[in-house]
Amino acid sequence: MITLSYKGNNTFLEAVNKKSGSDVLECYQCGKCVSTCPVSNFMDFPPREIMQMIKLELKEEAQMANSTWFCLTCSACSGRCPREINIPAVMEAVRHLAIEENFHPDSKQVKNIRKFHEIFLAMIKRYGRNYELRMMAEFNIRTRNLFKDMHLAPTALLKGKIPLGVKSMKSAKAIKKMYEMAEKLEQLNK
Amino acid sequence: MKKVTYFPGCSAHGTSEEFDLTVKMVMKTLDVEMEEIPDWNCCGATSAHTMNESLAYALPLRNLVLAEKLSNDTMTIPCASCYQRLKATKVHMDEDPELAKKINTAVVGEGSYEGRVAVKSMLQYCYEDIGLEAIREKVTSPVSGMKLACYYGCLLTRPKAITRFDSPEYPMSMDKIVEALGAKAMPFDFKTECCGASFSISDTDVVLQLSGKILEMAKESGAHAIVVACPLCQSNLDMRQHDIEKKYKVKYDLPVFYLTQLMAMAFGFPKEKMMFGKHIIPVDSALAHIGEVIEEPKKPVKGKKAVQAESEVE
Repeated sequence: MITLSYKGNNTFLEAVNKKSGSDVLECYQCGKCVSTCPVSNFMDFPPREIMQMIKLELKEEAQMANSTWFCLTCSACSGRCPREINIPAVMEAVRHLAIEENFHPDSKQVKNIRKFHEIFLAMIKRYGRNYELRMMAEFNIRTRNLFKDMHLAPTALLKGKIPLGVKSMKSAKAIKKMYEMAEKLEQLNK
Repeated sequence: MKKVTYFPGCSAHGTSEEFDLTVKMVMKTLDVEMEEIPDWNCCGATSAHTMNESLAYALPLRNLVLAEKLSNDTMTIPCASCYQRLKATKVHMDEDPELAKKINTAVVGEGSYEGRVAVKSMLQYCYEDIGLEAIREKVTSPVSGMKLACYYGCLLTRPKAITRFDSPEYPMSMDKIVEALGAKAMPFDFKTECCGASFSISDTDVVLQLSGKILEMAKESGAHAIVVACPLCQSNLDMRQHDIEKKYKVKYDLPVFYLTQLMAMAFGFPKEKMMFGKHIIPVDSALAHIGEVIEEPKKPVKGKKAVQAESEVE
């Protein structure tokens, strides 16, 4: 394409393209994704730069950036991308590769985001459904920030905004089994 | 009488009980019988697709398979996040039968996926399957006088390849429904901006910034309140509103209604049935405008030159 790309062994680019179903080489660095992205100011590198890193085989830099962890998958960028690249899928591919290789940023922010997802998934594995209040409490405990959002508690609880219990699922065991099978499928994908 | 399969989603039993309740009221009035998927499970939402691709497909797929055991050909989902996960799974499985077979192995003992059931958000179902005319017919106490900013969020209309519904940039379906209820839908540029979703817990600053901008634009549009069709949007805009006001030193006082709460009110259900007590921002200020007459701004008088230019074009 028009902009610079790496002319050697493109293993990272190929892996990202395969996972995302998009061709990152199509990107001509116009930057529309950056101006559209609602969280680009939270990112180490905005989406446009992550795209260029992939083209240049800068794998470590792309994986070590917090950018893919902040992506909300809101798809504002891909809707406006003149090259019709599925940018959220590309961000997700970089993140999934990073998780597979256990190579990702260890800043507090990214750790918190990861913890949130881990707690959420553990809860679904156990109950099959999400308990919002428990989710919030467990996040506070595991991130050692017990008083986070405590100012919301009186009104939220009194008004019943966040109820204390949830109707649980009958076949929660099936979900446990699903997790095991999904893990096997992930191993096969590698 | 129409029949439709219903997937309530986890928040229907939690933060968005009032959404679930009013969806049921509205559907009953519109002669739609809803059949809940027996023993449905969580869609996995953002967390599953952030961490594990196979699981992100398997969790929604189980619900899709269960839905096929019921006789209805359409499923409707109030939560935008659940809708997005189920619809994305459906689209990807329908496009790639090999992948569907593979993921199906993780849905143990429930049978195989056929792709028989259409997946629609509650908004889409109301707009496409029920239609504005049928909604208008049921309105007995119009909510006229209220100026509303219809906020769709990112997941109801985007990405277009998945949702295949309305415009990803400036949708109008919800606007048309609230106008059918008698209210005035304001022009509002942040209709499909993201509210920050689950970052509400994992990194609250993100939500304060994103939802703050949405509230700012809604206020600027002249709206008395915001209307949403997503539990996460509602809780971010409503429950976090005081935090936003504090951080940016502003005052919004913008109640955040679920679309179905307003529909139920317009269909004649008493306001006490709407669970407005759960809202953090009290709704009375907005409801007080019901019955007011909204004066349409006069069209600017055309100058001589404009009239001349138009006639030349013709």
